[in-house]
Amino acid sequence: MSIKRINAIIIKEFKQLLRDKRYLFVLFFFPVFLLGMFGYAVNFDVKNIKLAVMDNDNSKESREFIKTLISSEYFILSGYIEKDSDIKPMLDNQDVQLILVVPQNFSTELAKNNGKPSLQFLVDGVNGNTALIINNYITSAAMNFNAKIQTGFAEKAGITSLSPINFQPRFWFNPSLETTKYLIPGLIAMILIVTAVVSVSLSLVREKERGTIEQIKVSSVNTIEMLLGKAVPYVCIAMLNGILVLIAGMLLFNLEIQGSYLLLLLTTSIFLLAGIILGIFVSVVADSQQVAFTIAVFLSFLPSFILSGFVFPIDSMPPIIQIITNITPAKFFVAASRSIILKGAGVSAIYDQLMYLILYTLFFLILAVLISIKKEKEL
Amino acid sequence: MNTILHFVKKEFLQFKRDPKMFIIILFAPIVQLVFLGYAANMDVENVKTAIIDRNRTTESRLLIEKLEQSGYFSIEYYINDYKEAEKLIEKGKVICVLSFPVDFDTKLSRGESAQLQAIFDGSDGNTASIAAGYMIKLVAEHSQKIVLTARDKSGKALLIPATISAETRNWYNPTLKTRNFMVPAIVGLLLMIVTLILTSLAIVKEKEIGTMEQLIVTPIKPHQLIIGKLIPFTILGMVSVVVVLTAMRVIFNIPVRGSILLLFVSSFFYVLSLLGFGLFISTISKTQQQAMMLSIFVVMLPMTFLSGFSFPIENMPYFIQMVSYLIPLKYFIVIIRGIILKGVGIGILWDEILILFLMGITILYFSSKNFQKKIN
Amino acid sequence: MHSITVNNLTKKFGSFVSVDNISFNVKEGEIFGFLGANGAGKSTTIRMLCGILEPTSGDALVGGFSINSEPDKVKSSIGYMSQRFSLYNDLTVQENIDFFGGVYGLSGSNFRERKNWVLEIANLKGKENLLTGLLPGGIKQRLALGTAVIHNPKIVFLDEPTSGVDPISRRSFWDLINQLSEEGTTVFVTTHYLEEAEFCNNIILINAGKLVAEGTSEELKTNYINHKIIDIECDRTVEAMEILEKETFVLDTSIFGNNLHISVLDDVSAKKSVLALLEGKHSFRIRKIDTIVPTLEDVFIHLIEKG
Repeated sequence: MSIKRINAIIIKEFKQLLRDKRYLFVLFFFPVFLLGMFGYAVNFDVKNIKLAVMDNDNSKESREFIKTLISSEYFILSGYIEKDSDIKPMLDNQDVQLILVVPQNFSTELAKNNGKPSLQFLVDGVNGNTALIINNYITSAAMNFNAKIQTGFAEKAGITSLSPINFQPRFWFNPSLETTKYLIPGLIAMILIVTAVVSVSLSLVREKERGTIEQIKVSSVNTIEMLLGKAVPYVCIAMLNGILVLIAGMLLFNLEIQGSYLLLLLTTSIFLLAGIILGIFVSVVADSQQVAFTIAVFLSFLPSFILSGFVFPIDSMPPIIQIITNITPAKFFVAASRSIILKGAGVSAIYDQLMYLILYTLFFLILAVLISIKKEKEL
Repeated sequence: MNTILHFVKKEFLQFKRDPKMFIIILFAPIVQLVFLGYAANMDVENVKTAIIDRNRTTESRLLIEKLEQSGYFSIEYYINDYKEAEKLIEKGKVICVLSFPVDFDTKLSRGESAQLQAIFDGSDGNTASIAAGYMIKLVAEHSQKIVLTARDKSGKALLIPATISAETRNWYNPTLKTRNFMVPAIVGLLLMIVTLILTSLAIVKEKEIGTMEQLIVTPIKPHQLIIGKLIPFTILGMVSVVVVLTAMRVIFNIPVRGSILLLFVSSFFYVLSLLGFGLFISTISKTQQQAMMLSIFVVMLPMTFLSGFSFPIENMPYFIQMVSYLIPLKYFIVIIRGIILKGVGIGILWDEILILFLMGITILYFSSKNFQKKIN
Repeated sequence: MHSITVNNLTKKFGSFVSVDNISFNVKEGEIFGFLGANGAGKSTTIRMLCGILEPTSGDALVGGFSINSEPDKVKSSIGYMSQRFSLYNDLTVQENIDFFGGVYGLSGSNFRERKNWVLEIANLKGKENLLTGLLPGGIKQRLALGTAVIHNPKIVFLDEPTSGVDPISRRSFWDLINQLSEEGTTVFVTTHYLEEAEFCNNIILINAGKLVAEGTSEELKTNYINHKIIDIECDRTVEAMEILEKETFVLDTSIFGNNLHISVLDDVSAKKSVLALLEGKHSFRIRKIDTIVPTLEDVFIHLIEKG
């Protein structure tokens, strides 16, 4: 291996990259722009649930319950319905997400001791996650209503309490349970890795298609030197990109980094290196830009979105799929960067993720070199 | 017409010569559907939990048992103090720590209120909120049971007021599994990726290898060229639709409640609109690299995030909601979820289907218009 | 009868004038050479004449049709072969011919006949199922020409058809061009091989977008150079050139291979002066000194340097 030869390739790559102003613009503009746009779009917060009411009782009590329901920030009353046959089309059409049916005997049953008045809630369950949260809101609303009645009753009866267990959950790191801040690191991971893998693999394969790689191969440069030389400029660009995207995330979404900046930067660097090696791997496997693009998309785009833990918790996946999640380096980055950003974790909490990332990088680097050598022999 | 047929034949011959591409296009979506379909699951189960039990009596154990039996919580650690809890949460080993006070049982037996504390790792707000919801419900049930079995000093059952019960019925998806909700959307996502990869390069590739110049001097008309490219890709796209939908039905056992015919017709319009986007990119790009960068940054990523695939559009700021109207996947997701999960028909979905159709026609028209048979 | 008439054709790209107000005529059935350095505006002109690039101003009639108002009719009456071999490398010979024939709307016995003809001129009979990408350059180029004229156009434009092809293939390619011309097709060809220009019936030369000369190869050689060229073969050529450059009777000097070319007005007296100067005064050894007919290269270098 000769540093001189690697240097020559690095310089050439840099010159070519810097000449293509339009490409550079795309590489720097889009990641930041998309982060800005999507950052506002990614959240699972369930608020302003559209509610329709069919009040068959129409009593003071039923109206009071409805009032407590819609005075919270979660529910918006979009209207009353009169007959059963209106229910289905309303849910089918997604006019409302929730319909409350108050039975005729609600107020009479409520007046009885040990009475069991029931309220019927019909939830659009298509989005299981949202529906579940709506279910929880309903449960809480009913419990609060009961507590109010019971406190009144307990006071009259001279009993201290009717709720034996006073349960108070607390939420660490994110008391308001906003989802945006949790999702931003995943979004950053996805944007960065897609940019890195696609840009590297396309540039390298393009050269392969045009035959200039042949030219280089005829000279005494060997495969490893060439891969290294090609990787360096992209690592620099990607690093710069990573810093820009992190800064944009901090400025746009008030992302306060609880942990060490340096550690975050180190984690990002290792992650980007992994992404670039993955791009090189793709370029070694593919012979045309189209094939490279296809593999790059299927290897970086969807896995970093769905398998990385960005949107879907890895713990909820079947064991085999949990193993397959290792295909994307974003998985390790998402876990590590969330710990650093949201929890202020130090090296000791994330070193295993970093080790995985390094192993991942080495694995694909070796694989790329092996395939490249094998392909060379076939020529 | 004959000219178009010659074009279609040529495109198919070229597919035949590139079997690698063909295999990727045909099989990658199935493989991805399997992996992603199983992965795309937001169900909150087996929440990893640690217990600080300072009480260690049957009362505390009863509640712990109840939590564990519910299937929502899995007790991973018994620890002694909050210091340990902090470490476990920071490392991500547990999401929830439940702490019983020393006097838990004595307070209960005296009819006083016992304090029960739980800490949730709130960084994943969604999981934390769902997990807390489960726990609140379980604790409340437990609490209610205690009230019902309590006796007053004379040994009589307590006279207690009425309690309302909320009976929730979740339509379309009674078990609230998220997989059935996600898989049809993944179908839409995969179709988008496959068709865009195919068509975004369709024209620019010929520009790059130089055959476009040769085609431009022939008497072939721009719309003939666009249609000639469109037909083979539509056929491939529809093959992909059949393959992916079949895989969805067979592998995930998600039944189609509505009309299969309607599903195919709307898939066709969806594919058409995507092909329109792809061809449009191809006509405005000068190199393949440009076309691919455009399709990933300008189409694929925005479509994925702004389509309502996983993030509800209602939550987005007004401006971004406006952008989402331009996204075919948004409409297709409504259609495919509607037909498959709700079994609704054209009476309800006609506007989405119409929008997809108009979108396809418009963008194809612009592609054809933009594709002047000139070079500059 | 003219098959191409060009009137004041101009093409600007921004402020850059690629083709600057050129006019010329091409006779039916002739081989018309269109010469100029790289970037002189040759490809731009050809693309305008084929109706695929809009002129900034001016017009041309190609096969009787205006490139501005009837580009579609122009397209169906011409054939075009560009610098790059524009065939599909991933299709077989047969499939390429079928495709282009189809696009030009050929069918039936006429199509079969033309297909046969293409295979014949490309020497690909019996090899119809080979992948085009695997053919050697010379053969590929003949196939490209064949498919470009499969619809038997009256006019064919060839843009640098022989660049990057070996000399033997080039020679046989020109035989093919001659054959087309004999069959009555007008051949409009650009090239930068000046010896190829000698095969053309008429030639025009453009430089920096402007037309600088036109005529037959003989006319160019006699009309545009009003002085004589003397070819000198001697030792220490460069030194000799430096000495002769200083003499007033020498208009121009250049080195051609190992020899020295000088331009003079009176070749007889100049020869004497050269001999006296080089052999007498500076003791060079002159092996040969002759007046020669200028080559096209002499003419072009002269014209372009003058312009």
